Amino acid sequence: MDETRIVVTGISVISSLGETKDVFWQNLINGVSGIKPITLFDVSSFNSKQAGEITDFDPKIYLGKKGIRHIDRTSLLVSSASCLAIKDANIESDTYNEDELGIVVGSTYGSIDSISSFDFQSLREGPSYVNPMDFPNTVINAPASRASIFCKATGLNTTISNGVTSSIDAIIYASDFLKMKRVKAVIAGGVYGLGHDIFWGAHNSKILAGSKSGTLEISAPFDKRRNGMVLGEASALLVLETLEDALKRNANIYAEIKGYGTSFDPKMAISKEYQTDGNIRAIRSALEDAKLTLHDISYISANAYSGVYGDAIEAKALKEVFGMRAKLIPVTAIKSMTGECLDASGALQTLAAIMSIKTHTIPPIINYKEPDPECDLGLVIEKAATVPVKNVLINSFSRLGNNSSLIVSKFK
Amino acid sequence: MNKRVVITGVGMITPIGSGKDVFWEALTSGKSGVDEVSCIDTSGFRVHRGCEVKNFNYSDYIRNGVLKEIGKGSQFAIAATKLALDDAEIDLSEVDLERMGVSVGTTAGEIQILEKVNHIRHRDGEDKVAPDLFLMHPCNNIPANIAIEFGLKGPNTIIPTACAAGNYAVGYAYDLIRFGRTDVMVAGGSDPFSKVAFTGFARLGAIAPEICQPFDKNRKGMMVGEGAGILVLESLECAEKRNANIYAEIIGYGLSCDAYHITIPHPDGEGVVSAMVKALKSANLGPEDVQYISAHGTGTPANDKAETISIKKVFGDKPRHLAISSIKSMIGHTMGAASVIESIACALTVQNDIIPPTINYVTPDPECDLDYVPNVMRKQVVNIALNNAHAFGGNNSCLVIKKFTG
Repeated sequence: MDETRIVVTGISVISSLGETKDVFWQNLINGVSGIKPITLFDVSSFNSKQAGEITDFDPKIYLGKKGIRHIDRTSLLVSSASCLAIKDANIESDTYNEDELGIVVGSTYGSIDSISSFDFQSLREGPSYVNPMDFPNTVINAPASRASIFCKATGLNTTISNGVTSSIDAIIYASDFLKMKRVKAVIAGGVYGLGHDIFWGAHNSKILAGSKSGTLEISAPFDKRRNGMVLGEASALLVLETLEDALKRNANIYAEIKGYGTSFDPKMAISKEYQTDGNIRAIRSALEDAKLTLHDISYISANAYSGVYGDAIEAKALKEVFGMRAKLIPVTAIKSMTGECLDASGALQTLAAIMSIKTHTIPPIINYKEPDPECDLGLVIEKAATVPVKNVLINSFSRLGNNSSLIVSKFK
Repeated sequence: MNKRVVITGVGMITPIGSGKDVFWEALTSGKSGVDEVSCIDTSGFRVHRGCEVKNFNYSDYIRNGVLKEIGKGSQFAIAATKLALDDAEIDLSEVDLERMGVSVGTTAGEIQILEKVNHIRHRDGEDKVAPDLFLMHPCNNIPANIAIEFGLKGPNTIIPTACAAGNYAVGYAYDLIRFGRTDVMVAGGSDPFSKVAFTGFARLGAIAPEICQPFDKNRKGMMVGEGAGILVLESLECAEKRNANIYAEIIGYGLSCDAYHITIPHPDGEGVVSAMVKALKSANLGPEDVQYISAHGTGTPANDKAETISIKKVFGDKPRHLAISSIKSMIGHTMGAASVIESIACALTVQNDIIPPTINYVTPDPECDLDYVPNVMRKQVVNIALNNAHAFGGNNSCLVIKKFTG
């Protein structure tokens, strides 16, 4: 199974930077920020006020008017993006049987508002007055299951809830499934629909930029002024197939999923010291899986989310893995523009990497002003860089200790 | 790269008892875990019964642990992991911890944390909630906490495919070992009692007022339960190298999705059939090879009828020597933990050639006319057991467990 090659034959994105891959990409390489004042819920009592919100998202465009009233934002985002992904991959109703098509979605945080609102209805009015139509939104697998109904995908339906690493983990899970020849095509990626509860919870724990009064509310990865994440929302999905099947149906091939590695660092969440071990093991095992060396990596799409410790730990890990090359190899952090889109972040980075491979352009890190000696990497700042792009290393690391690295490559 | 994967340890926290010996004794003697619900106030409901874990003390399992404040879902999972690792006689100081990971399933994760947060917000206001309480809620805390407590550095994942989650998580752990991505996995599921689930199922009229009677003509619904189940899975190589006791072998599984309706199962049972067919195919087996099916068997009128139809589609109208039982009749529906606890039961079944019964079975239903091992356990040779689990969202799964014969 190790010899089976997995390729990307479709992509879709709904994000604060656009609802098509081309608009999203143009905005990324132009250094446009999707971060703006929040309108989805009341933020008047918070110090932080901004997020990468999707303005005017209208699910009716993608899903039609019928039967969507009781479906929550996260489910609507991923269902819409699923339909777009299938279309982008040119998969028609007769390309594959329903049973040969699957969906694997990273989603951890996007259902929480639905659970709370169901619970609040019961607290306010009594358990007999909750609306049973709202109950299905309280299960964490609902977004992926809703998407399966819209796309008629019956072969496989799995939700992965590993937090920030969810969407990379979903891509890994889907790739393994394809290698085992259990299905023919999998829509894989992640989704997070912005909601009050995560914003409030993160603000309460002071991990949002600007949550401590008087601090800057800015997404500035690797910058000395960084003081926490700015949240964002998105759904980003890939269509994955084996190379054999993709060639058989003459599909457009965007890129190849070359290798991946995951690890867990049991000390990350509890230690006061910089724990780089988990990051390093994920990166090294991805390189090993892809059978590539450090010199083969064209650039790094960092996990960096403007986190005080997270960014510094990643920088230290990159320096430990890449040694002298850490200052030469281009590093970007698109979360400077999209915000931390949690379960969708890794898939957004992957999508950007795929567009990079196509256009030989690396999107910049914006908001970068004050260098941090701890993060002295080959950062691509202010302006996009034009370089040949063959292999991109994508990092996705969580504060609980999950680490996932993925390498996507130009298809040869 | 196609390694054999065996079960070498089991641990469980359940409403009918915790730890293998107590659990198996309760299961084979037909003990019921149903009682009045005590952890939530049911006075506003029309139903009041469920299956809670009694007398659970986290400190009985973990003293001076690394983690101080964690939710009940993590506590159950860590306690079950402790039991499973002890049962497997694994000395963590002698294992390569980078080659040992965690894969668990859940329906609602640390739901009691969110319910507590919501209760405080509702009663006292948002600013009265302790700063870091909310962040203990997202379900990825559970596999992370297991790994933190035991120092496990391998793959770490949680799959929340509702009531089938345990099978998904065990299936993925099996894949990771089979393909050599890791050597040992702590695989299972955990769900503490959820007020949200109780409220939702009660509102749907799916909860039985008194007892859970799967496949009985007068069955009135499910029982919301809680608990955790953990399997220690490892490659046969690893198990043999350390001379481990082997309960059973996992030889395949199948997944499918109805893509039909978010709560109602497909009326023809197509998805459930597909999961069983795929499971058999993945294990290179035919229907005639199977002696026992651990049914999803929730006890709701619709589920048990649809599951019976599906089983008949795969095994024929009158399958001979095929025993089916639902241990949910005793334990209730422990949500994401259910299919793992059922896999443990399957492993013990193939090891001991004893099938646990479906209790509370009184009146046969012409629409459910298979052999459900009513009320009393049965001694019967079981070489192959299937474990069915289905879920909200139309997620279906079936795991194949084989007697270990070397």
